[in-house]
This record gives sequence, C-alpha cells and structure tokens, in this order.
Amino acid sequence: MTLMTGEERLSETFAALANSTRRAILARLADGEANVNELAEPFDLTLPAISKHIKVLERAGLVARGQRAQYRPCTLDAARLEEISAWAEQYRPVWEARFDRMNDYLTQLRPQRKTDKRDD
Amino acid sequence: MTDDNVSRDAVVIERNFDASADLVWQMWTQPEHFKAWYGPTGATVPVAKMDVRVGGTRLVCMKMETPGGPMQMWFTGEYREVVENKRLVYTESMSDEDGNVLSPSAMGMPEGHPTTTEVTVELEDVGGRTKMVMTHAGIPAGSPGAAGWEMALDKLAAHVEGQSRR
Repeated sequence: MTLMTGEERLSETFAALANSTRRAILARLADGEANVNELAEPFDLTLPAISKHIKVLERAGLVARGQRAQYRPCTLDAARLEEISAWAEQYRPVWEARFDRMNDYLTQLRPQRKTDKRDD
Repeated sequence: MTDDNVSRDAVVIERNFDASADLVWQMWTQPEHFKAWYGPTGATVPVAKMDVRVGGTRLVCMKMETPGGPMQMWFTGEYREVVENKRLVYTESMSDEDGNVLSPSAMGMPEGHPTTTEVTVELEDVGGRTKMVMTHAGIPAGSPGAAGWEMALDKLAAHVEGQSRR
C-alpha cells in the first residue's frame, strides 16, 4: 500500500512528538522564533537538557535552526507538521485508485446490466 | 467543526460515473461488487461481510502479497446511516478477524492515526449519471492522551495554516 513509505517517516516524527516538553517547545515556537535560553525559561530543566530536546526535534524535521553563531534561533518547520496534521491525505491516493477501478468495473458491467459475480 | 478541521482531518473526493445511482449504491453495499474495486492496488478482498442497516456491522479483509508472504488486514465498523441509493455512512476501525477493534499503534500505524474513521458516501442522480461524494474523516479518539495531543496540534496546525496562506 502507498501508506508504507510515509508511515516510517511519520513514526519518526511522532516519536519526537511523544514527549510533553518537546510539544511545549513546539507550541512556544508556533508563536515565533526563539533561542535556547528563551525556550528553557518555562522549564525546570538545564540548558543542555533543553538543547537535547531541540536536537531531537531538529532530526525529526520539526524545527530548523538559524546559522547566526551566537544566537541560532529555533523556528518551526511547518512542512512536516502539515504532513502529520493531514493524516487523511495519505488515504487520498488509495481512494482515487479505488474509484478508478470502480469506474472500470462499472464500464465492464454496462453491456449486461445484470449482477454477474466476479470474485477476483 | 470548522472548515479548517474538515480539510485537515478528512479526504473528500467527488467522482461522476456513467451508471445509475442504484448501481453505484450496489458497489458499496453488495459484497461481490465491493470486492471487485475496493483493492487497494495489489490487494484482494477475500472477505466482505455487510449487514447494511443502521446499527448493522461490517467486516472486511484485505489481503496483499508482500516479500515476507501474504499479509491480511481486517477492518470492522458499523453502519450509521443507510438511505438507499442516496446516502451511506459507516465507521471503520482496524480489527482482528473476529471484528475485535485493534488500536492503530498496535498495527504499527503512527500514533496520530485515529482509531475509528468514518466514511460517508453521497449519491446524486444527474440525468442518468451519478455524482458521488465520498468523505473519509477521522473521529477523535477521546482518550485523555489523544485530547492532549489534539490541543497541542491545534495550536501548531493554526500556525501551519497561517504560513500556507502567506
């Protein structure tokens, strides 16, 4: 099925999201870019611990980091989020292919309108 | 539900078929017809049990050949609306062969996948042809974990939509 390839990538993303601190970090970034110090503020965690969470989010493609040496602000990477929030879109090609087949099947049935059994 | 929710959590497909609404209805409600097109690609449907009445259950098996041998997936659900030749609504969940619902994560699906989805088929006769609108939507699972998830994602999704409108 077409679900398979996207599925693995999604698992990786969801694993990164399966942590309340990381989700809170993302929610904060939804309001705008922030550096590690700013992101650490609401948490009772060390900066290295926060940095570790950010790295996981980065690897999962959920967060991008700027290149300015000292500041390196984090921003939300919207593309991957769009992908996971639109789980239903994975099914679109499956349904489209089904209805192509339904159309072909209806065309086959057209000459003789009775219900012939086709078990395949 | 807002329109944004609909577009994010549902697939809507419209098709026109050169066939009567009665025949298109049979495609969905008669097992022998259903098996002929449901697939998906590379898969067959060896089992399709359909008790097409409100509250009636359905059980569908999809079988596909994989490098590791044949693989079967079972789906169960319940008919919610049955208006012959016009409107069909049923739920769908992954299950075992006895129709016991399995969680998507137990089946190796990502966590965000809803346990139960709902398929709505609307048929309209257009001069002997049939317009079909199929909506496949997720139903929020309602578990505490899922609720927290939803809240987190709502905020993020709002941000994503803001970006795509730029």
